[in-house]
Amino acid sequence: MSAAAPQPLANMGAPEPRMDGRAKVTGEARYPSDMPVSNPAFAFLVTSAIAKGRINAIDQMRARAVPGVLDIFTHENTGDLKEIKFASGGAGASTSIQQLGPEVFHDGQIIAMVVADTFEAAREAAYALKVDYAEAPAAPSFDSPGVETEDVTQLHDSAKDIPSVGDVEAALAGADVVVDAQYGTPTQHHNPIELFTTTCVWNGDRLTVHEPSQFMYGLKNNVARKLDVGPEQVRTISHFVGGAFGSKAQLTPRTGLVAFAARKLHRPVKLVATRDQGFTIATYRAETRHRIRLGARRDGKLVGYEHEGFEITSRPDKYFVAGVEDAARLYAYGAVKTKVNIVHADRNTPGFMRSPPVVPYIYAIETAMDELAAKLGMDPVEFRRVNDTTTDPISGKPYSSRSLMQCYDQAAAAFRWMARDPHPGSMRDGDWLIGWGCATAVYPTHFGSATARVRLLANGDVRVQTAAHDLGTGAYTVIGQMAAERLGVPFSAVKTELGDSELPPASVAGGSNTTASCCSAVMKACHAIRAKLFHAAATANEGPLAGQQISGLTLRDGKVAAEGAEEPLAETFKRLGVGAIEEYAESAPPGAPADAIASLYAGKPTLSGGAHGKKLMYAFGAEFVEVRVHKDTCEIRVPRAVGAFAGGRIMNTRTAHSQLMGGMIWGISSALHEATEIDPVRARYVNDNLADYLVPVNADVQAVDVILVPEVDPDVNPAGVKGLGELGNVGTAAAVSNAVYHATGRRIRQLPIRLEKLL
Amino acid sequence: MSNNRASFTPSRRKFLMTTASSAAGPVIARAFTGEARAQSAPRNQREPVGVRLEVNGHVQDLSLDVRTTLLDALREHLGLTGSKKGCDQGQCGACTVLVDGRRVLGCLTLAASVDGRSITTIEGLTSPGQELHPMQQAFVDQDAFQCGYCTSGQIMSAIGCVHEGHAENDADIREYMSGNLCRCAAYPNIVAAIKQAKAATQSRLASKET
Repeated sequence: MSAAAPQPLANMGAPEPRMDGRAKVTGEARYPSDMPVSNPAFAFLVTSAIAKGRINAIDQMRARAVPGVLDIFTHENTGDLKEIKFASGGAGASTSIQQLGPEVFHDGQIIAMVVADTFEAAREAAYALKVDYAEAPAAPSFDSPGVETEDVTQLHDSAKDIPSVGDVEAALAGADVVVDAQYGTPTQHHNPIELFTTTCVWNGDRLTVHEPSQFMYGLKNNVARKLDVGPEQVRTISHFVGGAFGSKAQLTPRTGLVAFAARKLHRPVKLVATRDQGFTIATYRAETRHRIRLGARRDGKLVGYEHEGFEITSRPDKYFVAGVEDAARLYAYGAVKTKVNIVHADRNTPGFMRSPPVVPYIYAIETAMDELAAKLGMDPVEFRRVNDTTTDPISGKPYSSRSLMQCYDQAAAAFRWMARDPHPGSMRDGDWLIGWGCATAVYPTHFGSATARVRLLANGDVRVQTAAHDLGTGAYTVIGQMAAERLGVPFSAVKTELGDSELPPASVAGGSNTTASCCSAVMKACHAIRAKLFHAAATANEGPLAGQQISGLTLRDGKVAAEGAEEPLAETFKRLGVGAIEEYAESAPPGAPADAIASLYAGKPTLSGGAHGKKLMYAFGAEFVEVRVHKDTCEIRVPRAVGAFAGGRIMNTRTAHSQLMGGMIWGISSALHEATEIDPVRARYVNDNLADYLVPVNADVQAVDVILVPEVDPDVNPAGVKGLGELGNVGTAAAVSNAVYHATGRRIRQLPIRLEKLL
Repeated sequence: MSNNRASFTPSRRKFLMTTASSAAGPVIARAFTGEARAQSAPRNQREPVGVRLEVNGHVQDLSLDVRTTLLDALREHLGLTGSKKGCDQGQCGACTVLVDGRRVLGCLTLAASVDGRSITTIEGLTSPGQELHPMQQAFVDQDAFQCGYCTSGQIMSAIGCVHEGHAENDADIREYMSGNLCRCAAYPNIVAAIKQAKAATQSRLASKET
């Protein structure tokens, strides 16, 4: 055992090394742009230089004269591509803005694509296109003239139950202490290191799409609709995904275009979009603003909480995250009132980015909680303890499980929080001001529709198939572990196959549902295999298990076993007269519509959980951060961070640790590094590359300690699993911000906190 | 690209051509294939250029567009897709390979400029079915990756880092590995992996292995 592979505690699985580990360290793992195709042509995108207006003309003369150019696609010759409406869910397109023109809705909109024999020729010709625009004034963000604001409760069924209970005005009027503050979070881009790539190959009327994807069946069905062909004609393959973080969940405009070009040219076409294009041809985390009023009695008991959010979206699409739904369940607030507005600007449509609703909204409430604790003169941990709850403050429904304070207590002890002097600016080390801060991490537990096929051979070898996705989460490994456990074979005997629309469908890899959903489907398939084996062994006329109660049988160490008796699997297979048992299983969350699985095949997942079931289902954590702020330069460093998390059943302590550690570093990045800057006049992203868009490098990261807190929750799903991939980066930004306040006495309410804000 | 940058391209392309030929000059002079070409008349820039690379111990003769980067030569012309394209502008490190034993960004290196040189990629560290290089094994043991996309570059860079003598302590490792971005943020585990594999990597260098 090591830091990377923690000793499993109760209800935790072994830290098996990743099933795809060897493939990834040898370069054998083929990501979609690595797939060999015969004689590909190469595509290069051209994106708009204006944020709003119209294309008057595109002069292609010089571009077409570049040797090797095969064709140039613009709005004038791509009208056959169907439009798919934007949908804020797993299956829709990422944006309604799909035509290459002539209207331009945002900076960096795809307006043309050049295809040539070589990448170099395609790039040269793309730069040689001359575009004449009629440019109109653009409104890039909050406060720009021309943006339009809408109340989301007026728009969407899903937003109508924005949380509200009691009389907030009266509650706050009667509070002893009130915090009334505004917070802001910036635009952020996912920036997975893998670029946005698409390779399309037609074989007759059948299309294969190699594209990194978080949803094989969503991509398959949407590409088919885009091209107006049957879904059975389209196969999507993405065995590996080079990071996604939400950016590869939905159909983006490039895919249909590449498929269209490949069909027209009768040749495979390969597109690898550039890094800067990635900022505008996919989605991003929109900037948000928050106004919070939070009141408490002198003894620390909360009495009222009001939270109004503002989120940026594009002109045509009503994208919003409305994280008040989760924020309003966090504590026993008393009265609650929430509201969410979207602000339409001349931008590409935003989308899911790791923990979409909770990252901005929990940052805001967890900073307000720290402000109120400071005003009350209470320890921030004790303040949360006083307001801890086991029921929903809005509906009164119980939490299925909630280990928040266990997480606080374990993380606080590991961090040595008790040594903290609560006075801001009181802790120093030479020229460095030391600050300690903490905050809550929370993420709704999602359970989605999924299917799986499991095959057990007489020799104990197992193959598991489901069209799920391993984004680096460990899905190959943990899905395999579930099969190994249920079938009583060693993990090394299991092979998991994912990332291919020829396999049975799984939900979108979003909302951190994959482990829960796929493991539940795999359990069901394994259960069917077990039933066949148990029946054969117990009903046999002879043999060690003949006449045994089926309920007393199990599978272990490659044998069918009962108390005091067992027989090798191969013997039971002989009784059945087969060499392999293969079972397909479907799993859907409680309350899912009857056609949930048919819908999944059609590219529409069903997800439940969070605040929507009979019980509230959430995973919790507590994060503690030390910052050091230099007294003269205001340089900010994070020498250590400790997080304790409870996530129901932990399938694999190694991959869980990695997800949570990476998440915490994401959170630190969110607090101190990341922001996409927008030109306030031209509405263009300024720092659209990895040198200017700051993400942490190795030298930015020091000690990050993850504590896994045992928790059992049989209510969440059959596997008992709560998703962890989007938990670790929630609350971290507030913990950092609260630590900066503790170090300096300065409360910075707009992320990221960079040194110029402290000077 | 965005179209308003088009006005810069002719001069930028000329600049790249010039860089390529001036960088290739001294290399070609001492390269085992370059003798005749070094003395030939000014070439048509559109003509493919012959490039000989020794990749993972195998000599490869290629005919390439002069603008082809080492990364694209490996990926698109030799089918060695272990080296990754993450930015194509020298900012992420996913394309890191060793050229004559030193770490180099494949995306910022024109293939023609390393004519005659020895290239080691992730595929050159071991063969299918064979034992992993100690650095590869350490990355598995320490779980030094999630999605795996930056991993080839991290491992090549880690070997370079050890060879350079820049893996003496945690702070040095962090600093000298900071050219390789890991968006999944497996950084603490990458540091642990390099510490695990350092001695074995050094002893392989002493016995002239990568």
